[in-house]
Amino acid sequence: MRRIPYLWTLLLLALAILLSIAIGSVFISPADLWRILTGWLSATSLSESLQTFAFIITSIRLPRTVLVLLTGAALGGSGAAYQGLFRNPLADPYLIGVASGAGLGAAVAMSIQWPYTFWGLLAVPLAGFLAAMLAILLVYFLARLGKTVPTTNLILAGVAFSAFATSLTSFLMLRSTGELRRAFAFLLGGFTQTGWNPVLTILPFLAIGLGFLVLSGHALNLLQFGDDQAQQLGLPVTRAKTLILVAASLATAAAVSFSGVIGFIGLIVPHVMRLWFGADYRRLLPLSIIGGAGALLLADVLARVVMAPQELPVGIVTALAGAPFFLWVLRRAKNQGYW
Amino acid sequence: MFRKLSFALLTITLFMAACGPSATATPAPATTQPPATEAPAATLPPTAAPIVLTDGLGRTVTLVSPAQRVVSLAASNTEILYAVGAGAQVVGRDEASSYPEAASALPTVGGWSGFSNEAIVALKPDLVLAGDINPPELVASLEQLGLTVYLLPNPTTLEEMYANLETVGTLTGRQAEAAALVESLKARVAAVDAKIATVTERPSVFYEFDATDPAKPYTYGPGTFGDLLIQRAGGTNIGAQLQGQWVQISLEQLVVANPELILLGDSAYGETPEKVATRTGWEALSAVKDGRVYPFNDDLVSRPGPRLVDGLEMLAKLLHPELFK
Repeated sequence: MRRIPYLWTLLLLALAILLSIAIGSVFISPADLWRILTGWLSATSLSESLQTFAFIITSIRLPRTVLVLLTGAALGGSGAAYQGLFRNPLADPYLIGVASGAGLGAAVAMSIQWPYTFWGLLAVPLAGFLAAMLAILLVYFLARLGKTVPTTNLILAGVAFSAFATSLTSFLMLRSTGELRRAFAFLLGGFTQTGWNPVLTILPFLAIGLGFLVLSGHALNLLQFGDDQAQQLGLPVTRAKTLILVAASLATAAAVSFSGVIGFIGLIVPHVMRLWFGADYRRLLPLSIIGGAGALLLADVLARVVMAPQELPVGIVTALAGAPFFLWVLRRAKNQGYW
Repeated sequence: MFRKLSFALLTITLFMAACGPSATATPAPATTQPPATEAPAATLPPTAAPIVLTDGLGRTVTLVSPAQRVVSLAASNTEILYAVGAGAQVVGRDEASSYPEAASALPTVGGWSGFSNEAIVALKPDLVLAGDINPPELVASLEQLGLTVYLLPNPTTLEEMYANLETVGTLTGRQAEAAALVESLKARVAAVDAKIATVTERPSVFYEFDATDPAKPYTYGPGTFGDLLIQRAGGTNIGAQLQGQWVQISLEQLVVANPELILLGDSAYGETPEKVATRTGWEALSAVKDGRVYPFNDDLVSRPGPRLVDGLEMLAKLLHPELFK
């Protein structure tokens, strides 16, 4: 019985991966997909038109699918961790400044004309990542009171910092003479960099961050009793909270750096998982990671095909398609007092 | 448990932060590209030497032979391609490419909100002609897919625009047509210059290209073709005194400047001289009182292509009708 949630979410994820590879702005018929697959398996050479399709699948859709999958996993997992950490149903991975920090860093980097080199092209994601981590550090130390870090302080410091950084970003965007669309694309979330490089660059951060979060389910369960109780139950509360915060922020910052600020996934996926499968964080964290990956993949498929060959920023789709879905789940849920 | 984990996490994080990107770094995108993976058989015999040009990003772009399948990522690029006689070699365009008529029949590969790499790859282009309007990330990702990308920089003068025409001519094997086009454009500009040289009055012009907020319409400031062409057509551009290229002017400033002519670059969005007359506060302007408010095709001054010369001629006629009787 306890394996069933994983079965369902993994099935959903597999379906989303399949759709993400099969569907795009260029139509590849299922028959052609099958021919390409069998061609690979039997190592026979493909006809010329199939070669183009095969190239599109291996060089464009596959790396993108993996990047979207990792990003969604990071947002889902960090969202669950943040909600548990802050014991707040409104918490999402951007609550204490990752998104606004990354947005500011990216906007600053975009206001500079970088040379067209490897590092020049990496300037925007790198600045986004570093600014996001700096933002977290700043908020953390601003919220610190002696040796403790009260949750309310963290939230308030985070919200104040976010408002400040967001205003600065808007100002920079208004002042910029160049392409505003580039900055908008980052702030709405979108996958502008392609190929395997972004995947390889964020993978280590996600592996560490999410790997740690998966192991911290028990600590998060204890934290639900409140800091004092958790301390009495033997949890080093401040250390645990700090570590979970760092791990979740690390994963989020890495995800945001290449794909921009994608909203809603980190807020809603943990709630859906909680409504469906219960609030035990030992299960909720891995489920949110899998669910986040699947949900973002589905949103990305929509973003690619709704106005093909134009691509919508995926952040628009996540909320546009995600909000009605969440409300449907919420209405149907039997355990209304689930939080 | 947390003590150990925290140490491990910290160490690994620092390690990753220190060498993460470079550890996973692959070599910088090579400037010399292998030929596109799906290069179509050239229909023309290859020229003796490959075409080697430096583009707007400082990249060296090599074409073994003139491009026969071009995807254009900017409206101005599409206009240039058709103008130098390479229209038949264009196989794809961006959403905004609406001129000439024939271009609208081509498949689109994206537009304002983003481009589809797979739609571009599926057209099997041997050249993707990008513009400054396209972000460097797009160029890099297309390059990684083995496509040959040339980014045509935005010109700031007519001379630079001519150079772009010649570049596109070279890339598409239409040098002769491009050279002839440049000659005829230069002759037309010279004809306008000759007429304007005789003028004594330089009417003040307000050119608006967005009046969503009629109290603060947008106009062309210094450094834009809108400004350059108005001056060259024998006018004084009100926007020239503002700071920035695409700038807002307040109605107060506009009333003080009191332009003799108003040109509606936003006529494509439904602005008409009649509507301007009904805007609050605008009735005080001389141009409105004298009925010298004219719709204008904004593409003729905003798209850095050969039609800038059309724009210059039309501006000269509107500003100095007495010279063109």
